[in-house]
Amino acid sequence: MTTAEKVAALTGTEVQELETEFVVAPEHHFALAELLQSEGYTFYITVAATHFAGEVPNKKNPEGSPETFQVATVLRKPEPGASSFACWRVELAAGEPIDSLVPLFEGADWQGREQFDLVGVVFKNHPDLRRLMMPEDWEGHPLRRDYAIETAHPPWR
Amino acid sequence: MTDIMDQLLNHPLGRGVLLGGVLVGLMMGVGAFSTYLERKFAGRIQNRLGPTIVGPFGLFQVIADGIKMLRKEIIIPRAADPVLFLLAPIVAVTLTLASAAVIPFAEGMEPVVTSVGLLWLLAFSGLLVFPVWWAGWASNNKYALFGSMRAVAQGVSYEIPLVMAALVPVILAGSLDFGAIVAAQKGGAWFIWSNPVGAIAFIIFFLASLAEANRIPFDIPEAESELIAGPSVEYTGILWGMFPLAEYIHTFIASAVASLMFFGGWLGPGPDGLHWMALKTGALYLAVYWLRWSLVRFRSDQLMRFCWHWLVPISLALIVIATLWVHAGFGGSA
Amino acid sequence: MSLSIQPYSAEQPVNPYLDVDLYDPDADLMVLNLGPQHPSTHGVFRVKLILDGEVIVKAIGYPGYLHRGVEKLCEKLNYSNIKAIIDKNDYISPMINEQAVNMAFEKLAGVEVPRRALWLRSLLAEFQRIASHLIALGTFGLDVGGALGGGASAFMYCFRDREMILDVFEELSGCRFHYNTHCVGGNRHDVPAGWDRMVLPALEVIEARLDELVDMMVNNQVFVDRTQGVGVIPKNLALGLGLTGPNGRASGIDCDLRRDAPYNAYGEVEVRPAVRSAGDCQARFLCRVDEIRESARLARLFLAGLPEGPISGTKPNKGPTSVKIKEGRCYVGLSTPRGELGTYLIAGGNKGLSPYRLKIRPPSLHHLASIPYILPGNNLSDAIAILGSLDPVMGEADR
Repeated sequence: MTTAEKVAALTGTEVQELETEFVVAPEHHFALAELLQSEGYTFYITVAATHFAGEVPNKKNPEGSPETFQVATVLRKPEPGASSFACWRVELAAGEPIDSLVPLFEGADWQGREQFDLVGVVFKNHPDLRRLMMPEDWEGHPLRRDYAIETAHPPWR
Repeated sequence: MTDIMDQLLNHPLGRGVLLGGVLVGLMMGVGAFSTYLERKFAGRIQNRLGPTIVGPFGLFQVIADGIKMLRKEIIIPRAADPVLFLLAPIVAVTLTLASAAVIPFAEGMEPVVTSVGLLWLLAFSGLLVFPVWWAGWASNNKYALFGSMRAVAQGVSYEIPLVMAALVPVILAGSLDFGAIVAAQKGGAWFIWSNPVGAIAFIIFFLASLAEANRIPFDIPEAESELIAGPSVEYTGILWGMFPLAEYIHTFIASAVASLMFFGGWLGPGPDGLHWMALKTGALYLAVYWLRWSLVRFRSDQLMRFCWHWLVPISLALIVIATLWVHAGFGGSA
Repeated sequence: MSLSIQPYSAEQPVNPYLDVDLYDPDADLMVLNLGPQHPSTHGVFRVKLILDGEVIVKAIGYPGYLHRGVEKLCEKLNYSNIKAIIDKNDYISPMINEQAVNMAFEKLAGVEVPRRALWLRSLLAEFQRIASHLIALGTFGLDVGGALGGGASAFMYCFRDREMILDVFEELSGCRFHYNTHCVGGNRHDVPAGWDRMVLPALEVIEARLDELVDMMVNNQVFVDRTQGVGVIPKNLALGLGLTGPNGRASGIDCDLRRDAPYNAYGEVEVRPAVRSAGDCQARFLCRVDEIRESARLARLFLAGLPEGPISGTKPNKGPTSVKIKEGRCYVGLSTPRGELGTYLIAGGNKGLSPYRLKIRPPSLHHLASIPYILPGNNLSDAIAILGSLDPVMGEADR
């Protein structure tokens, strides 16, 4: 049973190739990371959260769409000669938390904090979820689509 | 005219004022010129030129630096203890100059005539721990406090091998007087090679005095990369300038004492005199720079271990061997 | 004084979330702010150290003082504009940073890069690696040796040698630092005539002088005492933290993207990464020394085998400035002197002219994330040596 098949069995999704980003339900996120770690994907690479602003109903999109978040995680298999990585994403509704990978990977601590700071995704079971880049009293999450660059932010501007 | 000079030189006060004035001038000159010399020397080591712009060969850089230093504002931090803060650098320079008072740069040219010159020197340079500690404490700065804590620990520890290594020539010469110590090395029998312990004693003395003067690789109280500048971090202008001045003078004195006790002072092949003393002191002084610009620094605990595990036991053994050597009749004490 | 804190080891890991009130009620703990204005934090990084005497009980890192919002800015810029500001991220190795984002853009746009451009990119990357490692070695000397001491001499030697590489780059691109020489689909500047007559002697001189540096630093007992066994990062911790590059390889992770997931022209040559197992400051230093030698070898190979042909192919795009990517997402990693520089790209923002989301995986931030684990239990002086041996670049970590 290849790793891809194991992943498909765990998450119930079609997975051809781990390097092509695949979608995983939020409840499988932690279990998937655990599985991949035991399969040799022990190298913590990165996590990238993205904000998708919702749309109010308009001419093009009469239904409108809700605000969503996507969190992509990358793990690498550090094998001499043939290193490969696994990349999957979790799609979240606004305000829905995602499991933190800190119990498995120490590096998920700061990376999670950074995404929490800039995008505003909340990580469950994170031991120390504080802002990383922005000042502690900063309001808002700069990497959200509806966060305007031009807005002044006293006293920082 | 010569009578008046003789009378003046024979009177302790007159001698002190006359030779002391010369000494203070000389030491200040050494301290100031050292900055230029060190920058040139370091530049050469690092494939740079050093100062070249101000004056011929950049020689007036010293004056420019001095004026800059004097004109800078003296800032006393609000939380600092102003009395100790001001006192510390002044006392540091005073003590350093006082310790130099017994050094004869040529035969009979010491400002203070005493038969226990070495004791005087060690006593005053041992006191140097205090101004550094005051500076760190009065600055009310954590980095300064760390620096002065390290300085005290290091100063007190290295005092022991320093004194014990200095005792070796004292035992060999049978005197605490620099004149007698140098006299015992007459005829090329410099203490560095005239006996089995001299060379090792010199190395220990030199290392310990480097540590006393906070020179790399022993400059952990200053440690620019960790403690920024240690005790002198809050100082500005000429108040700051007094610390390096004291350090330069201290290093110079250590070189002078090492050349007196181990290299025969003003004795030399050919005519004896001031030139030999200057040459030897200068060579040792440059060796300090050479070490400084080519070594990295120890960690504080390694420094302490080096002192207590190696220098102290070895210097103790050296004293025993030197005593036996003299007892066996090889000494020059006569 | 109780010293219950021991440096990190596999058997006795350090708890980075230690509650200092529970540590030792009798200990007089002192809080020392190392940075952001401190000469040895390699930029504006702040570590809050909680000290028991001179021993670190807890270290809390605060990055972000150099946060410039590069990722947000990238959502507004055209693809061809982005590489010019990515240059400024890792300002010690700008050449490779340009390549990283370009690789991601090329992958999504489906642009074919000519073979000569691939070889030229690899060649430039190896030069940049030498220059970057020289800075790392020099500044590490500064950290253990002081700005007024032997460390400063090592620093000067390294910078002198790096100048030659900057000269080489200047000859090629006209810039000494922020080159902007890569574009989507190729390179902008071809090798000038007689370039190899400048490059090959420079490589020889650097290699010869590297031996001198090793003599001065590594073969020096004081240096060995300061670095051996200090700041050990075990392999498992390094994997979990995502320590890539020389820092990871010094901990025994045998992974180098140049060899294991070849990009550019690395698939056509044999890359021999330097791997060590000690994981201490000395191993990290020696890894960088070895990598300079390896890079010099690779650079000679790439220069000798530079194929003929165009250096920029703009097939699907009208010009290098009109890159348009409708949709797609990808993760692309390449190996910078510091480690794996990843680019996670979601295309389709601004009608296809800009990325919708560009996430850069900065190796330096992962390296800095290790300090809460490896600083406790060490002396204050070692903290500086460890920070220096990790070789972080704050421009990249904070972005």
